[in-house]
Amino acid sequence: MPRIVFVDAEGKSTEVQAEEGQSVMSAAVQNGIDAIAAECGGSCACGTCHCYIDGAWADRLPSPDYQEQDMLDCVVNPEERSRLSCQITVSDALDGLVVHLPAGQY
Amino acid sequence: MAETLSTQSRVEAAFAPLSPDFARDPYPTYKALRDKGGLHYFEDFDIWLASRFEDVSAIVMDKRMVRSLEDIATSEEIAAIQRAGNWHDMPHHSRFVQFSLLDSDGAVHDRLRKQVFKLFTPAMIAKLRDQIQAYVDRLIDSLADRGQIDFVDDLAAHVPGHIIGRLLGVPDEDCPQLRIWSENIVQFFDVDRSDERKRIAETNTTEFYEYLTALKHERERSPKDDLISVLIEAERAGAMSSDEFISTCMLILMAGHGSTIDVLGSGMHALLRFPEQMARLRRDPALIQTAVQEMFRYESPLPFFHRHCIEEVEIGGRNFARGTKFGLLYGAANRDPKQFENADTFDIGRTPNRHLAFGGGVHFCLGNHLARLDMDIIFSTLLRRFPTIELVDEKPEYKRGLSVRGPKRLQIAIKPT
Ligand code: HEM
Ligand code: FES
Repeated sequence: MPRIVFVDAEGKSTEVQAEEGQSVMSAAVQNGIDAIAAECGGSCACGTCHCYIDGAWADRLPSPDYQEQDMLDCVVNPEERSRLSCQITVSDALDGLVVHLPAGQY
Repeated sequence: MAETLSTQSRVEAAFAPLSPDFARDPYPTYKALRDKGGLHYFEDFDIWLASRFEDVSAIVMDKRMVRSLEDIATSEEIAAIQRAGNWHDMPHHSRFVQFSLLDSDGAVHDRLRKQVFKLFTPAMIAKLRDQIQAYVDRLIDSLADRGQIDFVDDLAAHVPGHIIGRLLGVPDEDCPQLRIWSENIVQFFDVDRSDERKRIAETNTTEFYEYLTALKHERERSPKDDLISVLIEAERAGAMSSDEFISTCMLILMAGHGSTIDVLGSGMHALLRFPEQMARLRRDPALIQTAVQEMFRYESPLPFFHRHCIEEVEIGGRNFARGTKFGLLYGAANRDPKQFENADTFDIGRTPNRHLAFGGGVHFCLGNHLARLDMDIIFSTLLRRFPTIELVDEKPEYKRGLSVRGPKRLQIAIKPT
């Protein structure tokens, strides 16, 4: 099972075991990572599952599609490494992925 | 419907969502539905009801579940359904109300939602804070000496329409008229589909349409920093038709109007029923955001929506044919103990609180941040200004029906000491 490390805005890390095929958002929600609000449940319709992908990993993920890109224009404090966690699918290739959490989704 | 129905899956005769008992307290009925497990057929609406959090959220997230009938019925079938529901022969209503962002799916829905979404982001809505605060302050000033008010009619009812009107670009003095049009149009969605209500809905849609058209012409000549001007640009750029322009303005003005008033009422009522929670909020005003979310969970103001499946689907171990209609009981899902610890407890600090009062999936409520900000400001201001707030009428009457939830009136005493 691929591991994902979530680092919150204060720098505290939590490592979770994710399942292949689920989204990074559901891995977060299932493991009590409350900083991922994910209010639309993963339909790219709310922008409250925003996260930042750690340095080296950013280039190893498929780029956001146009819908995700549009939504990323609407999140709080967007950065170059911003992604919507509901649009990233977990796979073995992502074992060890480091995801930084924003201070808030609103 | 080809399914044969076991008595198990039919809802009991006791399921009477229009009854006074259900209006008083729908939660025992919701519990009974959840406890029986699976989906339940409700003949009156020819619909399969989902009540458990797991089932409701699976349906809203499912791409095979749509709102409009377009993909599953021929135009003759749609016309027959319209006649059966007495929706037919309403030229303006069918152009601007029966068609909308909410009632479209797929590419049309994506395109329309994209035109407005950027105006409803947390950052955009936060800009309205000072305006809303100033409006609420003035309103409360005008009531402060009364000692006793109807929280619903004297306070809650004035705020949402006024703020949505401003966001859209409607002059303040016209906002009361918008409320009348909205209510007369929205009421037709309820149970009473009589010819009289139908006539009222159609004439009100027509007047609303004429008003919006005049306002649009005015803005075309002199654009302002408002939503109407943004939508005019979208139409010019070919991103929406002129009918879609009107329909989108109407939806935005109507969608969050009555519902925000209702949840303000039930939220106030909850704080008064659970005084230890009101005291907690007074001690720690920073809890207002989780408190507002809990108000939405505890008494979801729009507890019932629907979907149709565009192919055969399996839910809760049962197959449903293409075209089956599903009822989403958001109000029942939000009290599901499998999802929420102590689900019947009103806990203003509840975190996380992943409720479904704003729906989910691609139709997730566009205006949720606005509704939340209105509530944040109204409750924070009231608690700050009135150290004593008490219930006058111990048993306020709630509206009847499956699609709405909120008190009709809420008499409260407000005292500055
Ligand atoms: C108490 C406040 C509100 C509640 C409970 C609420 C609830 C909802 C729900 C449940 C849906 C999804 C319907 C479905 O699942 O089929 C929805 C959609 C929508 N809401 Fe709200 N709403 C509220 C306030 C507002 C406000 C203030 C606005 C606008 C200013 C608004 C605009 C919309 C729009 C445009 C949609 C359709 C979105 C789409 O189809 O993509 N709502 N709302
Ligand atoms: S969960 Fe709503 S956009 Fe990702």
